[in-house]
Amino acid sequence: MTRFVKFIGGFAVAAALVLPMTAQADDKDVIDYRENVMKTLEAQTASLGMIASTQVPPDNLVQHTEAIALMAKAAKKSFEAKVLGGEAKPEVWANNADFTKKMDDFVAKTDILAKSAKTGGVPVVMEQMVDALTCKGCHDVYRNKK
Amino acid sequence: MTRLLQFAAGLAFAAVATLPATVHATDSTDVIDYRKNVMKSLSAASAGLNAILQGKAPAENLVLQAETLRIIATTALIAFEPNVEGGDSKPEVWAKWADFSAKMKAFEAGTADLAKAAKEGGVAAAQGKVQAALTCKGCHDVYRVPKK
Repeated sequence: MTRFVKFIGGFAVAAALVLPMTAQADDKDVIDYRENVMKTLEAQTASLGMIASTQVPPDNLVQHTEAIALMAKAAKKSFEAKVLGGEAKPEVWANNADFTKKMDDFVAKTDILAKSAKTGGVPVVMEQMVDALTCKGCHDVYRNKK
Repeated sequence: MTRLLQFAAGLAFAAVATLPATVHATDSTDVIDYRKNVMKSLSAASAGLNAILQGKAPAENLVLQAETLRIIATTALIAFEPNVEGGDSKPEVWAKWADFSAKMKAFEAGTADLAKAAKEGGVAAAQGKVQAALTCKGCHDVYRVPKK
């Protein structure tokens, strides 16, 4: 019995040592991650906006649209875990079909925007960005007011 | 002479009227705001990637996150090219431009390597590259005004 207890004890220690590598995200981690994704999106969108309004040169146009398209995909995934808190309203999960539809739309349109930036440059991006960056449409319904 | 003045004034007006469509980055605030946006997104994207590597965020996003970081890293040096002091940047950025730009290019190469590892080998491979790629502190210690 003592040997068995020692074995179990040793196993628990080994498990604890390995745990940090495979740790499950707690609620704070889930919220922090989605906030990081949204911060990246916000800063990249602001950068793209500055190019569109000719405040800065357009050298980085394609990169900003590509980063936005990638982060749009990351954003959808980051809200899959139903963890209330942060700036997200409970409606994200209560009206999840609508939220997901809006996210899918955002993913699809930012993907098109990134492709357009490569082929058509600033003029085409300016035409499409209002339709692609529908941030406010989602924030008005699903984000707590700042 | 009056006609010439009128013509010159008209020309000047026309130039100003068409300026917003063609002018770029003449305002120092815009230059500083732009590079701050780039650095903010780098900071958030790095934090997101680290969360994945620590098992705190979905591993499914690893490639997206690493690729985003790689892409944004390629925009940083351009953002600092205009010699506009201010924001969190020390004057040394431009005084030691050769060193600064070498560090930025190393950062670009490191994040490209990291993104490739993430695509080919997943979390384990990315963990092996992250320290060499995210050398943020090495640059910030020299070129960024310490935060209060």
